Amino acid sequence: MIDLYKDREIETMDREALEALQLLRYKSTVANALKTPFYKKRLNSVGIKSARDLKNLLDIKKIPFTTKEDLREAYPFGLLASDKEDVVRMHASSGTTGTPTVIYQTQEDLDNWTNLTTRSLVSVGCHKGDIFQNMMTYGLFTGGIGLHYGAEKLGMLVIPASSGNTKRQLQLMKDFETTVVHATPSYMLYLYSKMEEYGYTLSDFKLKKALVGAEPHSEEIRRKIEKLFNIDAYNSYGLSEMNGPSVAFECEKKAGMHLWEDSYYMEIVDEDTLEELSDGETGELVLSILIRNATPILRYRTRDLTAIIPGQCSCGRISKRITRIKGRTDDMLIINGVNVFPSQIEEVIMKMPEVGTNYRILVRKEGLLDRLIVQTEVGPSIFSDDARDMNALKRRIIDNLRASITISPTVELHEPGVLPVQEGKAIRVVDKRGENK
Amino acid sequence: MIYNKEIEQMNVTQMQEIQLKRLKDLVKRVYEKVPFYKKKFDESGVKPEDIKTLADISKLPFTTKNEMRETFPYGLLSSPLDDIVEIHTSSGTTGTPVVAGYTENDRTLWSEVMARCLAMAGADKTDTIQNAYGYGLFTGGLGVHHGAGPLGAAVIPISSGNTQKQLQYMQDFKSTVLTCTPSYSLFMAEVASESGLDFRNFDLKAGIFGAEPWSDNMRVEIEKKLNLKAYDIYGLTEIIGPGVSCECQEQNGLHINEDFFYPEIIDAETGEVLPEGEKGELVFTTLSREGTPLIRYRTRDITWLFRDKCSCGRTTIKMHRLLGRNDDMLIIKGVNVFPSQIENILMKIENTEPHYQIIIDRESTQLDNVELQVEVEENFFSDETKDLEIVKNRIHDEMKQQLGISLNIKLVEPKTIERSMGKAKRVIDKRDLKAGEK
Repeated sequence: MIDLYKDREIETMDREALEALQLLRYKSTVANALKTPFYKKRLNSVGIKSARDLKNLLDIKKIPFTTKEDLREAYPFGLLASDKEDVVRMHASSGTTGTPTVIYQTQEDLDNWTNLTTRSLVSVGCHKGDIFQNMMTYGLFTGGIGLHYGAEKLGMLVIPASSGNTKRQLQLMKDFETTVVHATPSYMLYLYSKMEEYGYTLSDFKLKKALVGAEPHSEEIRRKIEKLFNIDAYNSYGLSEMNGPSVAFECEKKAGMHLWEDSYYMEIVDEDTLEELSDGETGELVLSILIRNATPILRYRTRDLTAIIPGQCSCGRISKRITRIKGRTDDMLIINGVNVFPSQIEEVIMKMPEVGTNYRILVRKEGLLDRLIVQTEVGPSIFSDDARDMNALKRRIIDNLRASITISPTVELHEPGVLPVQEGKAIRVVDKRGENK
Repeated sequence: MIYNKEIEQMNVTQMQEIQLKRLKDLVKRVYEKVPFYKKKFDESGVKPEDIKTLADISKLPFTTKNEMRETFPYGLLSSPLDDIVEIHTSSGTTGTPVVAGYTENDRTLWSEVMARCLAMAGADKTDTIQNAYGYGLFTGGLGVHHGAGPLGAAVIPISSGNTQKQLQYMQDFKSTVLTCTPSYSLFMAEVASESGLDFRNFDLKAGIFGAEPWSDNMRVEIEKKLNLKAYDIYGLTEIIGPGVSCECQEQNGLHINEDFFYPEIIDAETGEVLPEGEKGELVFTTLSREGTPLIRYRTRDITWLFRDKCSCGRTTIKMHRLLGRNDDMLIIKGVNVFPSQIENILMKIENTEPHYQIIIDRESTQLDNVELQVEVEENFFSDETKDLEIVKNRIHDEMKQQLGISLNIKLVEPKTIERSMGKAKRVIDKRDLKAGEK
């Protein structure tokens, strides 16, 4: 029988002990945060001058929320709480504009993160001997590297396949007898749809588990993945501001995601009034990270909508569970697992003088994958010009957008006056993914 | 800074003692645990006990890239699969790739040798390394990444591509060390200059460039354009990835991490071991690898070995920068490609004729520009351009999918590509990689 608890003591401690640990860690996080000009000002403004001013967990409610815009203003070093010399890693995610959101980690911070990813892998029954094909992108994005180190520490064999190249993914799965994969749910479905074309059948694989995350998905999609591949699929939640994957992870019971409360302090608030909600009520998830020295972030508004599932999980873990992410409280789009803000797109195209002021962003399903289409109007002179000039402009728009949002959209150029003009606030984003399922 | 003074400044006698001990252990281990090696040793009539001195290594048979392919995927493992924690494959991804398996000890070893290499180029814990090698199955990205850990330097795992963002990050995070292919560094310089950026305002002090051959002339250009010192790093997936050897501040030869990678130079025709200073094919034995250890692996790379009194204080043996490869493998944008692979893919595509040519050029951009000229069927060429586009895209996509590189495809009319009475000239390489190496 495999032990599914990596840190049994912490995972199964009683609530009183957990809260004592949280307070201890919250205090040291505040002490760190006070080293940054950003938080010094914020915390001082509510009377927190040292960690000692935090007497109990209720005092946390005094601390102002932190938003993505705050992180942008602190770019690049405004939230760095460690000596630069001690920083060994940096990760970034898309900001609401071209300025990314950045986090720094010391070696100790990385070790803490790795411990959590290992714990999450253990909780779904992964073990030494498993062959782990990691199909999330490697690089600044935390999805790939995050689970890489956790899996390695557990002694799994890691194939750092990164994302894309479906034919090779299938070949690797077969040749190396992959038992566990990590991917977005939509990519799992895409992978399945391509199996036959590339000459594979299920019997070519030894797959047992899929860890799916980086985009919201329904219980139906999970069941579909499980049924198609004849495997178990587990939901994973994370965001780079909070290190990346393994903020919350389903256990083998598949009854919601355990949010690792020893490492993150969680609140669910009403998105409008910012009042704290009770267990079971849906609202915006607010997180404070308790295990990172280099970039402390307190009461971060994730913009993700979820609810705490009342009661304790039958697995015996103390950490509360959250439901699948139900949506966003801002206009962020998730395109094949990549986060994109419409404001990023606007910023890029408005910098290009050839492009008119009217534009529209369209998202739709192309087969099983998302397709992002950016429609813009261009000046009449360009439009009547040589088709080669048009293509060159298109190419440049795509290149500039890719530099900002990391994915290549389809760009459509239109004559002036073709795109619908709205009175008042223009509806720039049309998301058609929900249609014709 | 010397990362591991004890090893890197060791005297030759002591080093050879370590090498011999490790070699004996290795030979014994692979003989007992890897059927592939047992068979090879038996066929050559050599037993582990026959290795009494370092010179006895010449009694052992060579290992070739083809043999690595034949043993795919797990045939060369000398440790149980359970103990393997990471896998990488060579960039030539069609058909059968070459697999390197790493145990936890191998990973530690890799981090160690990469940390030494970064230190050779002058990096330490105060540095910010912008790692623009590709991350994933390719060893370049994760190799540098793993090495920065023990060194304590900050890594920006930006991976390759997205040049505007590369330049933005370099400025915003004050990157001091850049790691990527040499050609990519020059492309960055070009984009910077188009955007009105001046590298003299950047904080870069060193670039560590590898994964493709580059000349001394190119170094001069890179150093001038990026305002940094450019260091050559060498490695290959089969041996470990990057970290086999690297230039120090002298920029005169690459110090080999010889306590782990035992080098020999052989005559490529006869297989005979050549003395230091003589040019030939580079051969490595991985003295401590547990995952996929290699005995006398023929790299196909041409260079020579030498020991000098290096002013950096390191005593490890050096290899000259690569002079070339002794077979027809092409390195395009850092990816290994054999013309036969291109042929293989092409031959499966309908409406094309079996006549093609690969033209490689390094234009002002300094990026490898590869044009694949393909003849299409007579009747097809007169058809609508739309159909030609479809075939063109199909070829492009297949190449991209299977080789991982983007080629410019040019469809030409039948009989436009030069015919040969003897061997067809499939590759025209216009890059002047050996310029400056007289």
